[in-house]
Amino acid sequence: MFYETVIISFIVGILSLFAIGVQKNNLHALILTDLLECSLLCIIAAVGTDLAEALILPGLVVSMAEILAIAEVLVVREKVRGKKLNDFKINFDLEILRTSPLFISIILVIYGAILSGFTGGAVIASGLLYYFFCKRVLGENIINRVKWVGICGFSGIAWSLWIVGFLGFYLFPKYWLVFLLFAGLGLVIKVCSKLGLLGMAE
Amino acid sequence: MIDGGIFGIVPFGDIIFKYSMFSTIGFVIAITFTILVYLTKPEKQLEAQKFGEDKLIDIPLHELKNRRYMAIVCGIATAGAMLTQDIFDFALFLTLVGIANIGIVSAVKREHVLNASFQYGLTSIIATLPLFGASALILAKTGTLSILELHHLNKNLLFEKILYGLGMAGETGVAPYYAAKAEMFRAPGSPYILMIHLSSLLLIVRTVEILLTI
Repeated sequence: MFYETVIISFIVGILSLFAIGVQKNNLHALILTDLLECSLLCIIAAVGTDLAEALILPGLVVSMAEILAIAEVLVVREKVRGKKLNDFKINFDLEILRTSPLFISIILVIYGAILSGFTGGAVIASGLLYYFFCKRVLGENIINRVKWVGICGFSGIAWSLWIVGFLGFYLFPKYWLVFLLFAGLGLVIKVCSKLGLLGMAE
Repeated sequence: MIDGGIFGIVPFGDIIFKYSMFSTIGFVIAITFTILVYLTKPEKQLEAQKFGEDKLIDIPLHELKNRRYMAIVCGIATAGAMLTQDIFDFALFLTLVGIANIGIVSAVKREHVLNASFQYGLTSIIATLPLFGASALILAKTGTLSILELHHLNKNLLFEKILYGLGMAGETGVAPYYAAKAEMFRAPGSPYILMIHLSSLLLIVRTVEILLTI
C-alpha cells in the first residue's frame, strides 16, 4: 500500500498545482493550497511508523501557520486597497438553534468527561462551542469581560495541574496512577476551557 | 567528510546539534548578521513626486519593531538550521525562515509589495509538499532521519535528494526573487531585507552540504 499511497498523493499534489495555476481569485488559490497540505500529510502517514506519527503534528502546525500568515497578508492588502471588508452578520431564526444546543452540549460534555485527556477536552469543547455559537447566531449576548478573564485563569490553573502530574511521573514513579489522573484531569479542563473561549471571542 | 571534521555533538534527546568546521562558521555568520540587524536603524526614503514637493517617508516605531523582530527571528532560525543534525528538523527550520521572510516582506504596507508577499507565500506552501514528502520518503527507505546515521548507510537517495532540493528552493531559495520583484530595495525601511538574502544564501549552501553528506 505504501507505493500506491505515495504515488496517489503526488498525483493529487500535481493536480492541485494545476488548479492553483488556473485559479484567478486569490482567496480560492489560498484555499486550494490546503489540498496540497492534505496530500503532504498523506505521504507522511503512509510511512506508518511511530516516528512518522511524531512528524505529522509538526507538519500540520507548520502548514496551518503558513496559511494563517498568508490569510493575514490578504486581509492587510484589502485594507490597504481601501475596500470595506464584509463583517459576516448572520441573521436568521431557526427553531433547532433554540431547542437543540442545551441537549447536545450536555451529552457531549458528559461523554468528554468520561473520555478525559486530550480527546475528552476536545469533545467537551465542541459541545461548548456548539452552545455558544447557537446563542451567538440568535443574537443573545454571552460575551462578558469578567467571564473571559475567569476562564483564562481557570485554564491556566488546570495547565499547572497537568504539569504537576507530568513531573510526578518522573519524581515519584511509585504513585503513577495518581499522577496519571492528575494529568488527565488537568488536560481535559485546560483543553475544553481554552477551546471553549473561541466561542466567546469578540 | 565535506564539513571539515566534527568538534563535538550536543545531544538534546531526539534533537542533536553538531559543531563541525562548516556549521560553526555558518552559525557565527548568521549570529553576526542578526546582531547587525538588531543595531541598525531603517533608512528614510525620499520619494520624488510628480507634482509638488518631494516627500520624505518616515517609518513609525511600531512598524519598525515588527519588521526588526521578524528579521531577528529569521536570523536565529538560520543559525539553528546551521547546527541541526536531523533532516526533519532542518525542514522545520526552513519553513520557519520562510514564514519569517513572509513577515519581513509583508510588513511594508504597499499594494505591490503585499502582492509579491502573497505570491511568495503560495510558493512556500506549495514547496512544503516536496520538502516534507522527501523527508518522509527518506525515513521510509532508510528508517532514520539523523544525518550522522545516514552518512554511514550508503543508500541510493537520488530521487529524494532532488525532491528535497526542490522543496528548499521553493521555501527559502526563491525569497530574493520575490524581494526583488517587489522592489524591496526601494521600499521604505529597507535594511532588514538583508536577512532574506543572507538566510537564503546560507541555507542553500547548508542544504548542498547535507545532500552531499547523506
